Amino acid sequence: MAMRQTPLTCSGHTRPVVDLAFSGITPYGYFLISACKDGKPMLRQGDTGDWIGTFLGHKGAVWGATLNKDATKAATAAADFTAKVWDAVSGDELMTLAHKHIVKSVDFTQDSNYLLTGGQDKLLRIYDLNKSEAEPKEISGHTSGIKKALWCRDDTQILSADDKTVRLWDRATMTEVKSLNFSMSVSSMEYIPEGEILVITYGRSIAFHSAASLEPIKSFEAPAPINSASLHPEKEFLVAGGEDFKLYKYDYNSGEELESYKGHFGPIHCVRFSADGELYASGSEDGTLRLWQTVVGKTYGLWKCVLPEDLGSENSDSIYSSTPEVKA
Amino acid sequence: KQAPIPIPVPVIRLPRGPDGTSRGFCAARGRDRAGSVAEVAEQQARAALRERYLRSILAMVGRPVHFTLHERVQVDAHFGATDLDVANFHVSQLQTPLGVQGEALLRCADIISYSFQL
Repeated sequence: MAMRQTPLTCSGHTRPVVDLAFSGITPYGYFLISACKDGKPMLRQGDTGDWIGTFLGHKGAVWGATLNKDATKAATAAADFTAKVWDAVSGDELMTLAHKHIVKSVDFTQDSNYLLTGGQDKLLRIYDLNKSEAEPKEISGHTSGIKKALWCRDDTQILSADDKTVRLWDRATMTEVKSLNFSMSVSSMEYIPEGEILVITYGRSIAFHSAASLEPIKSFEAPAPINSASLHPEKEFLVAGGEDFKLYKYDYNSGEELESYKGHFGPIHCVRFSADGELYASGSEDGTLRLWQTVVGKTYGLWKCVLPEDLGSENSDSIYSSTPEVKA
Repeated sequence: KQAPIPIPVPVIRLPRGPDGTSRGFCAARGRDRAGSVAEVAEQQARAALRERYLRSILAMVGRPVHFTLHERVQVDAHFGATDLDVANFHVSQLQTPLGVQGEALLRCADIISYSFQL
């Protein structure tokens, strides 16, 4: 029986969703945070998309958001020239870290003790979260605004992307190790620790590089400019979305386009696989997040597989969505 | 021979959105995902009230119903159906000041109250 993907739409934001991140898998499941131009990042249950809470405090668009591994802390980067650290259980603001320009990216170390930030002031900053009064360590070198900054190699190195370059830095010496130049604007970057893979999108390209050497591994071309891509934890698939509002799913090994999904009403800004690889989330200019199944038809989260003999059952507690777009 | 039309994957329900009144984080996240005893009791009460309301709508089908609308307008009609969000009522033989409308859609936002005989 052929099944069609039913995306789950998470509403609540009133402006474009520009970034999203999943936590690791915790004893309470896993969680999802979304950054929005309305200044109100939201925390959701990762497998259902149920809203848990909204982090209130930023006075401008939130450009980046992340959770630490066990989803006890959240960090956000905003246009109000601050990055904030939050208690992700209570929703309370823990720290406000002042910057000299719009902050675009935030990333926790594995032990949640340090926060890396990057933004329009072209500086990478490392904050010790246990010493809130101490000044951050600063790394300069970028010649245009930093779009993304990530810890890598067990937090011993840093990867950062600005408009046309991706750079690798050594944390101990605070110096640049290597850099990559691009002819087109880099739209996103994702780091996969297992296998040390870097996923970079620019123009219509989805490129995979070694995170250790920055050497290219492979790249695919999409039918439209891509804003974000994510590699499945088992590295069988990748998903990507961009300016044509569609989500594309590719076989990582062969590069074959497996599926494409319409659903969003605006360009897709971010897309990420969950830690268990069972679903991926997309954030769009249309102000929504959508959750998509990796294996269409599988029972997981709110999706419930119905066998042919169950279709006439009176006891069925599942409903059919008449069309995926009935409730935005 | 036509290929089988794919059916959309069924879902149990849609993701819950913000409640519009608070910033959330209310349920002791993780410790008791099902909610505290008070929350469960409230949810059960809400479910019971909703079920009663839906049954009242079922009881209305095909019957003459009297509607009180804004601007002191009163109309009678035979009730047909409601939509999923109870935002519109489909009615027939709507008696309006301008005559009888065979089929009509009444916006629930325009209805102050309605009554019918069981």
